[in-house]
Amino acid sequence: MTRIADLSTFNTVHEDGLAKLLPPRPRIAVGMGTCGTGHGAEGVFHAFSAEIGNRGLGISLARTGCFGICAEEPLVNVWIPGKPLVILRKVQPHDAGAILDAITSGAVPFDLALCRIEEWDHITAHIKYGTGFEEIPLWSDVPFFKGQKKIVLRHCGLISPGDIEEYIAVGGYQALYKVLIDGNPVGVIEQIKGSKLRGRGGAGYQTGIKWEFLRAAQAEQKYLICNADEGDPGAYMNRNEIEGDPHSLLEGMIIGGYVTGATEGIIYIRAEYPLAVHRLQSAIQQARDYGLLGQNILGRGFDFHVSLVEGAGAFVCGEETALIRSLEGKAGRPAPRPPYPAEKGLYGKPTNINNVETWYNIAPIIIKGASWFTDTGSPRSSGTKVFSLVGKVNSTGLVEMPLGTPLKTFVYAIGGGAPNGKSVKAVQTGGPSGGCIPQEMLDTPVDYESLAALGSIMGSGGMVVMDEDNCMVDVARYFIEFTHSESCGKCVPCRVGLDKSLALLNRFTRGAATVQDLAMLDELSRMIRDTSLCGLGQTAPNPVLTTMRHFRHEFEDHIRAHRCRAGVCQDLALSPCENSCPLHMNIPRFLELYKEDKIEEAFLSVVLDNPLPASTGRVCQHPCENRCRRVGIDEAVNMREVHRYIADAIYASNRYPALIEQVRARMLPPTGKRVAVVGAGPTGLACAYYLALLGHETTVYDGNAEAGGMLRYVLPDYRLPKEVLRKELELIEAIGVKFVFNTQVGRDLSLNEIDAAYDAVFLSIGTWKEAWVYLPGTELRGVIPALPFLESVAKNEPVALGKTVAVIGGGNAAIDSARTALRLGSGVTIIYRRERKDMPAIPEETEAAEAEGAEMVFLAAPHRIIGNAAGGVQAVEVVRTTLGEFDSSGRRRPVPTGEVIRFECDTVILAVGETVDLDFVKASGLKIKEAGTIEVDRYTLETSRDKFYAGGDVISGASNVSNAMGYGKKAARKIDDRLMGAHRFGQLLPEFDYDKSPPSCPSGSGRHRVSELPALERVKTFAEAVAGLSPVEAMEEACRCLRCDARNGDN
Amino acid sequence: MTSSNEEIDRVIARHDGRPGALLSMLEELQQAHPDKYLPVETLDYLAERTDLPRARIFSVATFYALFNLKPQGEHTVCICRGTACHTRGSRDLLERTKLQLGLKEEDEEGSADKLSVTTADRQFTVRTVACFGQCALAPVVEVDHAILGHVSERTLDREINTLKRGGRA
Amino acid sequence: MAHQISIRIDGKLVKVSAGSSILDAALAAGKDIPALCHMKGLSAVGACRLCVVELAGVGRLLPACTTPAADGMSVTTVSQKLTKYRRMILEMLFAERNHVCSVCVSNNHCELQALAARLGVTNVRFAYSYPKLSADTSHPRFVLDHNRCILCTRCVRVCAELEGAHVWDVMSRGTGSRLVCDMNQPWGASKGCTSCGKCVQACPTGALAEKGWCVEEMAKQPARVSRLAVIRGGGQ
Repeated sequence: MTRIADLSTFNTVHEDGLAKLLPPRPRIAVGMGTCGTGHGAEGVFHAFSAEIGNRGLGISLARTGCFGICAEEPLVNVWIPGKPLVILRKVQPHDAGAILDAITSGAVPFDLALCRIEEWDHITAHIKYGTGFEEIPLWSDVPFFKGQKKIVLRHCGLISPGDIEEYIAVGGYQALYKVLIDGNPVGVIEQIKGSKLRGRGGAGYQTGIKWEFLRAAQAEQKYLICNADEGDPGAYMNRNEIEGDPHSLLEGMIIGGYVTGATEGIIYIRAEYPLAVHRLQSAIQQARDYGLLGQNILGRGFDFHVSLVEGAGAFVCGEETALIRSLEGKAGRPAPRPPYPAEKGLYGKPTNINNVETWYNIAPIIIKGASWFTDTGSPRSSGTKVFSLVGKVNSTGLVEMPLGTPLKTFVYAIGGGAPNGKSVKAVQTGGPSGGCIPQEMLDTPVDYESLAALGSIMGSGGMVVMDEDNCMVDVARYFIEFTHSESCGKCVPCRVGLDKSLALLNRFTRGAATVQDLAMLDELSRMIRDTSLCGLGQTAPNPVLTTMRHFRHEFEDHIRAHRCRAGVCQDLALSPCENSCPLHMNIPRFLELYKEDKIEEAFLSVVLDNPLPASTGRVCQHPCENRCRRVGIDEAVNMREVHRYIADAIYASNRYPALIEQVRARMLPPTGKRVAVVGAGPTGLACAYYLALLGHETTVYDGNAEAGGMLRYVLPDYRLPKEVLRKELELIEAIGVKFVFNTQVGRDLSLNEIDAAYDAVFLSIGTWKEAWVYLPGTELRGVIPALPFLESVAKNEPVALGKTVAVIGGGNAAIDSARTALRLGSGVTIIYRRERKDMPAIPEETEAAEAEGAEMVFLAAPHRIIGNAAGGVQAVEVVRTTLGEFDSSGRRRPVPTGEVIRFECDTVILAVGETVDLDFVKASGLKIKEAGTIEVDRYTLETSRDKFYAGGDVISGASNVSNAMGYGKKAARKIDDRLMGAHRFGQLLPEFDYDKSPPSCPSGSGRHRVSELPALERVKTFAEAVAGLSPVEAMEEACRCLRCDARNGDN
Repeated sequence: MTSSNEEIDRVIARHDGRPGALLSMLEELQQAHPDKYLPVETLDYLAERTDLPRARIFSVATFYALFNLKPQGEHTVCICRGTACHTRGSRDLLERTKLQLGLKEEDEEGSADKLSVTTADRQFTVRTVACFGQCALAPVVEVDHAILGHVSERTLDREINTLKRGGRA
Repeated sequence: MAHQISIRIDGKLVKVSAGSSILDAALAAGKDIPALCHMKGLSAVGACRLCVVELAGVGRLLPACTTPAADGMSVTTVSQKLTKYRRMILEMLFAERNHVCSVCVSNNHCELQALAARLGVTNVRFAYSYPKLSADTSHPRFVLDHNRCILCTRCVRVCAELEGAHVWDVMSRGTGSRLVCDMNQPWGASKGCTSCGKCVQACPTGALAEKGWCVEEMAKQPARVSRLAVIRGGGQ
């Protein structure tokens, strides 16, 4: 150990440090931040230590901090002299042997490699590691790091935080040395002011100006405080900064002390960060030992002391006046300002408080200059900021980006979007003082002013991504619950106001809120914001105000429909599966009834919830599985296949007629009301079924010759055999629904005629019109749209299909067309302009098509269709696309490259989407939305014309069977409410007798899958491709249910 | 059982009895107590020796979430209620843990804030923390000071059952 | 004598000595800004937020009791927004605890009640919390009823700053905040309490009262405590 007093001793320590960082032998450094140890880095370190000892290897072993990509921990750095530094990811103790084997032979295990670093800009120094290992991507090419600029995190994860010599080796304490030698404090303050560095704690006040105030204050004692009481839930950059590089903080503070005239520094740090406390303690000791802290620093006659105080768990202590009270040994209740701490702070003395991250920017600004700093970032917000990117993103971790980077870069390019293919709904910035920014606004640049314009703040840099499974009302409630419990209680608006806000929000999440409550919540939030004493209270309503501003529809859903679409507010739903089911089937009930061996009751339960259980059991997109709690154990319960099994079993038995009678027995007495349903697709059928059960005389009109709509005329037989649908229609006919076929309303029958003859009309005409792409060559013979093609096949009409078919599109219609064409003996190529994961088709269907021999071409946009001399199709030309910017759907926009590829083919099927037949809608005199759908009240499905209701694809655009049926069911309920002036829907259901307690021990069996015919066999025929579950399998599935409907303390 | 007065004197001496060191002194005294709490007798003695108003010491000891005025259970399960953990289901974990340990709402201290409940047999204390700063591991639970990341109801059940059987987490 | 500054209160120009608060200046201009936690002679805490005022050129509202008057300021003490907020604060105080005036010793002598009447608070739109709170009757002469306490901390300050006993403080935080005597012990058992009664006289509601009075009988003399505090030079 050397006490540094002059340049030569400084240089000696610098050389010693470099020899540790770049020794003449391989060096292994294990990432030992808290996130590393939380992933088992301790064990990895010991495994290396033991193995190196056992083998007697000449390899250095060190501990380092976190390199930022927390999702890939434990991280291990490996450096072999002359080679680049390689960062290995997800290293386990048992990997140690193999890694050492590789190192001793001059290599690294490529399968574990995350990236390589050839040289590193430590800002205060430049380190060249070496070259080679080109198979491993450069760190700056890894999506997570692309665009990151590490100023604050310049040393994190690369040097050993426990060794001051390594810090000095990368240029540490040079800035301090320079400042002390120059002896020009005012010049330093001018430099900091010139850099426009703004406080990184949230308020964004200019650091240089704050320092100037403190310097100007006359007092025998001044204090510098570092606020490391990082209390924002969802933000942890300060912890990482301190754990990975404690000396940068000390250096910043010592410089700050020198230029402002303070001689005492205090770091107020959270007790919840034991490792950071420990690292700081040892860094302070080391700095003292080396003469960089304490008396006569660097022999220049300047004294500065730093002490550490642990906070005891109070978020409000992030507020500077509360923090000062806490340091004085008092309860952390904020005091009014003025007086400001710069005049009267700690113990009444002038005091300056800066956030941890602010201090980390000091040394780089001094070494590189103010204009170097302002080169990065946006004009009003210079430099970088570290953000903790957490929540529903694939790559979580700490990200340091120039200020002004758009939010979508964080969420999609760096974070890789939401996991499990879900869509991002919002990003919460600024913690409990910030707000939620909706997905549509992710173009917003991240800087102080832009976020404030949206009602949020940058705060300390927390960035929590929310996806479709997060309820924004619940998020607002969560933050108010947090600030409510962290409010110090001193001022009335915060103490009582937040309590009343929470009470109001609880009414929302319980479904008890009214429109008046929404207005009250708004008024109350503004009042708390405007009148509270400190920043906590003034900003606490932000999460409520921003969610009410950007997600008002979710609040309205909770009020008007008593519905939480995300399924978070448990009081509003029976179970997560029921809540996600568009038909709101009571899934736990039929599973339990079947489990109790009451298959007939189970069928009754199913069929009273959903009149087409066998059809939907085959083709539904099963949203019920997305939030099944069983996923926490293994996989979701296969609910769809159980109701398919129950229905199939009953249809095949002789009990079906008797069960139809039981359904008829539930019918309410005739009401004398007449209702017309236009369209016999799934929407219309569901609506007509319930209307008839409710006692209304119901007539369904359809232009086709049979009922079923898309189920009958589009879905190919191999997915849904026609006889299954016919069996289900028996029930709908049996309860008295009348059908008028071959009659198209609007053409064969005018709307006014219908209007005159019925008490209510429900429109559910579906999306039968194929969207058309305007390409050269679409007029050629052999270019056919998908829906008419599928319809012709379903009607057994002859279709002219060539030998080689190109299908353009990526939705279900494209896949259905491809698989149908394969069955008709053609060769098929599917051309889609985006990536595979962006396809809207059900993934199982795409896989099946591929297995059956369809070729897939991705990232290819149709360019033109080339004809032959006979007027037929010769080939299709496509342009290669690459992925560009993220669009508003969170997918990358395809950008044409100019490279053209030609596919020889004789038929082109265009499956680029379906729309509503607008002519009909226009003729009906109904209001139309911009998207070309009918405008309805979201809650009642009423159109702009009295007595007319609409549902299904005509209001939502092309969707799927269960969504369509959900609208039909809801419409029947709303029409009945209106016609009868009472809520009678609930009377349709009998009391079912079944166990309502949670299973003490749910089945441990894994999920049962259905079996498919082999691809080569099924592609030859239109016979059903997927067989259902066996009785035993269905029973075991039912036993796997965790019964979320049976809650603790219920029944 | 209380910390001995000599011990309190030692802690006071270490901080020269400075009023500003009250938080640090309380932290050390709580840490030194076998049941990890601050008995009123300890606070009384501290007031006597430091000349700080008793009401002020009590005010401080009840203001900060870290201080316990009741004996803590042998094992501590601390569930993070940070934003990242919340969005990844930490409320369900909390409910599940309380259910598993037979704790009901009415056992909770004070209002809904800074939850800290101890089972009647003093085996377990269930607490919440505002944020551990382990957001990348969400949801996070700390069991007897060991951080567990990506906790599911199943892994938490297993941890608690191990502790119930007398094993270490 | 400190130099004089000019400040405009609701348009009226007044001269006050430098270092005065906006509240003092308003008083000099004959404007009585509503306040509950403020008591002249004690340190200003800015807790009740009733005295917030609008300041020309400043976007946010400022508490009159803790904001120093500055030369050339133009202050608005009454506006639609301020009245709305002040009423809401009073509503919140009523909803927070159990203020049943009809059975209160301080009925008709209560500052909270008087302010509600002055600002026209006739009903409370928030759900009442109805907390289960106790009363401490252990002191031979006085009684503390938490049901009536609004946590203004006048008692805490008068005891610590004027009497020098510091028997009172506030424990816990947020909605759990409670006035506490010593280590949460019965008032009667307090070793520090001098039974001077200043806290009782300073209390704006019926939370602290003398024993032996019936409904409506407990009239207090906060002005006398305040004068004494000013004479002792407090509140600077």
